[in-house]
Formats: sequence, structure tokens, C-alpha cells
Amino acid sequence: MAASGWRFVLHRGSRFILSRTTVESSSQLVGCIRTVKIPTWFEEHLTEDNQKYMRHSMAEEYRRQTAEKLCPLKDEPWPRHEWTEGSRRVGLVAIKLGMAPIWTKSGERHAVTMLQVQDCHVIRCTSKEEYDGRSAALAVGGKNVSPFYRSEKAMELFRNAGVPPKQKVTIFKVSDNAIIKPGTPLYAAHFRPGQYVDVTAKSIGKGFQGVMKRWGFKGQPASHGQTKTHRRPGASGPGGDPAKVFKGKKMPGKMGNVFVTAYGLKIWRVNTKYNVLYVHGSVPGHTNCVLKVRDTVLPTRRSTLLNPPFPTYFTEEEGDLDEDLYSDDLFVHTEPSVTLS
Amino acid sequence: MAACTRGLKNLLTSIKFCRTLQFQDERFLCTSALRFANNEPPKFVPPSKPVIINKTQTTASTRRFLSPEFIPPRGRTDPFKYFMERRDMVRRRKALNIPEFYVGSILAVTMADANASGKTNRFVGICIQRGGRGLGATFVLRNILNGQGVEICYELYSPRIQTIEVLKLEKRLDSNLMYLRDALPEYSTVDPEMKPVPFSPTGEVPVNKLKVKMCPKPWSKHWERPQFAIQGIRFDLCMTPKQMEFVQKKYAKPWEEYDMLKEYDTSKLEEQIFAEVQQEMNK
Repeated sequence: MAASGWRFVLHRGSRFILSRTTVESSSQLVGCIRTVKIPTWFEEHLTEDNQKYMRHSMAEEYRRQTAEKLCPLKDEPWPRHEWTEGSRRVGLVAIKLGMAPIWTKSGERHAVTMLQVQDCHVIRCTSKEEYDGRSAALAVGGKNVSPFYRSEKAMELFRNAGVPPKQKVTIFKVSDNAIIKPGTPLYAAHFRPGQYVDVTAKSIGKGFQGVMKRWGFKGQPASHGQTKTHRRPGASGPGGDPAKVFKGKKMPGKMGNVFVTAYGLKIWRVNTKYNVLYVHGSVPGHTNCVLKVRDTVLPTRRSTLLNPPFPTYFTEEEGDLDEDLYSDDLFVHTEPSVTLS
Repeated sequence: MAACTRGLKNLLTSIKFCRTLQFQDERFLCTSALRFANNEPPKFVPPSKPVIINKTQTTASTRRFLSPEFIPPRGRTDPFKYFMERRDMVRRRKALNIPEFYVGSILAVTMADANASGKTNRFVGICIQRGGRGLGATFVLRNILNGQGVEICYELYSPRIQTIEVLKLEKRLDSNLMYLRDALPEYSTVDPEMKPVPFSPTGEVPVNKLKVKMCPKPWSKHWERPQFAIQGIRFDLCMTPKQMEFVQKKYAKPWEEYDMLKEYDTSKLEEQIFAEVQQEMNK
């Protein structure tokens, strides 16, 4: 956020000339001070009362904005189309809560990750022509954050949509019949149990790591004469013929903190009251990180997506779903114990 | 004889009559006085209600006990996640009665097993460890069958568990009895046909201050070291006091009691969770 500028300082200087970057003749260049332009945060020049008022009014504004968007079908929604084979619908932005065990009706135990969909809204819609000429794109935002530490340019996007500012805004490529009006809230019931999803998130950053941890090299033995070589990469390529090291050679470097996608994760359970998805196995990212969840791209799992809520799940229209939707083979805790036969 | 009885009867009836007459007179007097005062019928005073004690109902334990798996571990996880897990745990507890037990109690667990005859198997053992938090909570039962030590780790909330009964409820000096693996076999043997020992649902849980005799060293772990803080072993029979003092001194970490990052005070959290769980269970 902070921008730095180079400032010219004249000798015997009381005058400071702000200049771009080009350096003039060496006689004039006596000293250069690098300054950091910190924009004023909202708190800097406000009294304590005003700060409290600002925070209070921000919370009120959020509540008003979310309340306004609660009934998207009532205020001029865009025309809704039916789901067809081959149409892609939007995904959600969720937060990784943690992992828990679940059991199937035959007594097998699996581990699931709980993802909560908090304040997910559609921010902007870009049509096919504007985006890339192939498919329309919808920008969806996740968790609400404070507007005070965001620049005006970023806030403009959220103001146009009429939603509170979000921590993560991702783009979903969508087929033309699945576009949604900006400002529509998205809920966890958009996905149904039994369906498969892909989850993308930034993996946990490990920093600069050696070749054994980063690429799984075997290293060298601990003893039997090894001199100062136990975790080194060893040879780096063939030898005299190429006489070079190929591009992309696995070497030590920064590991983690990159976007990783886990494909084909089954949804075991959906809690519509608290908007929690129970997704099979593990998911990249640390606890409480923001993730992007969308329908699977895998061809073998496409058949499980039959008649999904299209373009998304609307609370008013589909009526009351049960608080907990379970997959068919999932053991529900209210049932009596399993008897194997 | 008949005349006597008849006579007696007459006497009794006459006494009764007199008594009623007397009462009637009193009542009459009292009511007449009121009538004289208010010109209204007397107010009906209902008799005091008898207190009914239902002895057929099994008394739920009035001991204040919160199972350790409800208390969340210290970490940066959202408490909301534990709240969701607790709801599931309470739902399971309503379907299956998971009794109160401690490490050192003797339990019998029947589990669904596809390969066993009758499709269930029953295992009796002493609980040596309770681990895990939330839905993945486990407990390990140990017993010695035909000279072979057997330990089975059960998940409390697994749907394959059909019943859990507490045959003997007691506590021991430690919260982890893994050292029974290195103790003499008699301390881990539990009779599979044991009858349940009755215990009172109120009052303190009895603490068995048994100190266990160990097999000769080496043990699977250095149980004498202060990190385990074991009270339930007869160290005086295994090592000299000098050896014991040496080990305690060498492996001691006196700075740990001042380590603020290791502090985790769960008292308030426990109270909140206990109230929440009680409310949910009674719904």
C-alpha cells in the first residue's frame, strides 16, 4: 500500500524538489532520501469518540447492506435459466474451520474438513465479450473485513455492488446461462451432499527449504565417510553432453504459499443454518484460511451433478431445507448404533 | 361373643358420633362466627400436597462431571468449530448412553464386528488412557487374556459401539496408566465375567491408591522420570533412593512451572460448556 518516492535534496538545501526517478548530473545529485508515503489511516486524525462512531457506523452499514441483499429474488433479479448438461455454475468462497471424523453406515471412518461460507456475495459480472471471448466471468467475494485499511480504488468495487468489503475476491468462469446479478448472496446450500468439488487455497508457507523437504530427495547417508554432505542435492544433471543444467531443475527454494487445488472431494454433509460444508479428506491451507470452492472439473465425477440449484440456491424460492442435509451413506448421529450383518 | 362385639361396636360408633358432634360444633361455631362477620362462604384451604418420591426411576448421577473430550484444546481454531462438534456429540450421547468413567475404571464394551459370531464382540478391561478431543475421542482398555496382554483403543462416538458399561467406577493416582504394560500381569488382569460393582451416583468417586509392582527394568518408557509424574508405582522396590534422586534431578525442568505459554486455564470454559451440554441433553 505504501508507495515510496525518491526525493532530490539540494546542497545547502532548504528547498526540496520532488522528482520522478531519473538522475540528473552528478553535481546536483548530492543526496537522495528515500521516503515512504504512508496514506493517512482513518484513525490518525480522529478523536476517540469519532473513531468509535466510525466503527459503529461501519457495522450498521454492513448490517443494512446484508439485510438489503437477503431477498435477491424480490428486487429485479436477472432472468434465470434451467440447468443443462455442460453448463458451468458459480462457486463459493469459504473459510477452513478444521477437521473432524465421520462414519458411514457400514461403520467405516473417514476424515472430513469443515468449511464455512461466511458472507459470500457476487461482486461483479463480466460478460463473455469483455472477459476473454470464451466464457463469462463472475467475481465473488468472501469474508467481510474492515473498510478502513483498504484503498479507495478497492472500495469502489464493493460500493458498486452494494456489499461490505471482502477479504478475498475470486473469479469463476461461468457459462452464459449461469450469470447472477451482482450483490446476490451465496449460501452453502448451493452445493448438495453426494456432489464432488474442487477446493483451491494458498498452501501453508514453509519458507526457504532444502531439497529433501521441498522435492523429497533422499539425501546422503549419515555416516560411512560422508564429509559434510547429508541433505545436499548431489548431482545436478547428465554431464559433458548437454554441459548445462536444464531449466526447471529441482533445487532448494521457497516452498509453500502458492495456490494448490485439491480435486474431486466429496461433500458428505451440508448445514444450511450455519452454512457449513463437510468436505472429504484434507484441503490446502491453514485453519481459518479463505478458500475457493467450485464444482469438479473431473470427467468421471460429472455424473453426480444432477439437477443442482441453478444458477444458485435462493432461500425464498426453494423453501425450507432441513437444517442438516446428509449424504446417503453417511451415518447420522441420532440413529441407533450400526449392526453389521 | 357377638353381643360383646356388638356392644363394642355400638360404643365405638357412639364415641365417633360424639367426636364428630364435637367437631361439627367447633366447625359450626367457627363458620357461624365467620358468617356472622362476612356473610360469605368460608374460603377453601386445600390440604398440603404430599411429596412423591419416585423410587422406580434410575437416579441420574448428581455428580458434576464433564467428559474430558468436551474441553477444546488450546489453539487458534474458531470456537464455532467445537460448537458444531459438540452438537454432534450430544446427539450421539442421546442415542447411546456413554457413562461417566475415569482412567482406572473397569469397563465392558460391546462392539459390532462382521467377523464375530453373533456379529458383536464384548471386551472387558481396565481403562488406561483417555485421549482425543471432540468426536474423535478415544479410550484404551487393557486386559490379559490367556497370558497375552491385549489393549484395544475404542472411539467413544463410533457407531459400531453398541453398549459401554462401567463394571467398577474408580479413579487411580495417575491420569495415564500406560505403565501397566511394564507392571506385573496381576495388575492388568480383569475377570471377563466380572459382575458390576454397585456405586453411588452421588458423592466423590473412590480413588484407588494402589501402588503397582513393576517387572525388572528395562521398561518401555523411563517411568521414573519427572516428565511422567507417576504416583502409582512402587519405585522403592525397583530403584535405590539415590538412583531415584539422581534421575529426578537430571531430567527435571524447573522452568516449566513459570512458562506462561504453557498455561491453559479451562475453568471458565468448562463451566460454560457444562451448562451448554446439560441444557442440550435435557431437551
